[in-house]
Amino acid sequence: MRDRDYLGEFEHIIVLALLRLNDLAYGVTVRQEIESRTQREVSIGAVYATLDRLETKGYVTSYHGDPTPERGGRSKRFFRVTAKGLAAVNSTHRALQSMIEGLSLTRNSS
Amino acid sequence: MTAQQHFRQLPRTAVWLLDLFTPAEQAESIQGDLLEEFSLLALKSGISSARRWYWRQTVKTVLQLVSVSFVTAPWLTALPVIGGLLLGKLFGPMVEPAIFAVIERYQVAEHHFSTYMLLASTGIDVGHLITFLLIGFAVAFASKQREMVATITLALIHWAMVVVASVYVVTTTGNDALLWRLTWYFADCFVIVLAGAIVRMHRLAVLSRPLKA
Repeated sequence: MRDRDYLGEFEHIIVLALLRLNDLAYGVTVRQEIESRTQREVSIGAVYATLDRLETKGYVTSYHGDPTPERGGRSKRFFRVTAKGLAAVNSTHRALQSMIEGLSLTRNSS
Repeated sequence: MTAQQHFRQLPRTAVWLLDLFTPAEQAESIQGDLLEEFSLLALKSGISSARRWYWRQTVKTVLQLVSVSFVTAPWLTALPVIGGLLLGKLFGPMVEPAIFAVIERYQVAEHHFSTYMLLASTGIDVGHLITFLLIGFAVAFASKQREMVATITLALIHWAMVVVASVYVVTTTGNDALLWRLTWYFADCFVIVLAGAIVRMHRLAVLSRPLKA
């Protein structure tokens, strides 16, 4: 993997949500996890658009579960972070850490 | 309350909008997720709150799907739209001569003057509507899973072009009666999008049809 394979802000949040949810990561749980932790309402369309982009980049994989009655007979699409995705999270964290290092994030009033 | 009962209480128009814009490969997951959360929310906060939430999710999701469609495959959307504009340029100016050729051929003005008046005024506008409906069908068929995005884009470009042209003509000639033509031009845009919706609904019906053994 190249060192410049960084994640965008929402991609970063989505991958972290997948890592937190482990084997239970699908549209509903990912959306709820992000909403409860970031306090911002996220649309299911935005979640899937980002997950599809991450899958195209090889950072996540997906598979379909069995159809369930509470979903009107539709199946869940589960997501997992790949090794490449995990490496991208780490390199994004390293980049952010290096940018933050030595900074005081409180603004002087003068 | 079961999922079946909640399914009946979903806002039908919102479900229809999602059907129109969601690509087939994402439809099952997105609609299943929304139904699951709708059911949970309906039990927790009541049906009206769940319906409001469903509508918010639908509007945001549709906007997201439209923007993704442009970003991920711009040419799949742009090429049918350019084709539609060229078809409009090619066939649009043919409507009026074609109707007058029919009038001449059957000597309508001599035998049925009222029919002649109707054909020479409303007939031309209806001819344009049919032409743009057919162009909308052609664009929707060519744009595969992006029927709505392609036809809405074509309709918006067509609308912008006719508004600019109408305003230019009105300001240079001073004849503001021409602005009334905008209602017909708006109808042309509407039938382009209508054609996209018809093709989309037809494709969904074909996809959901059970396979014969």
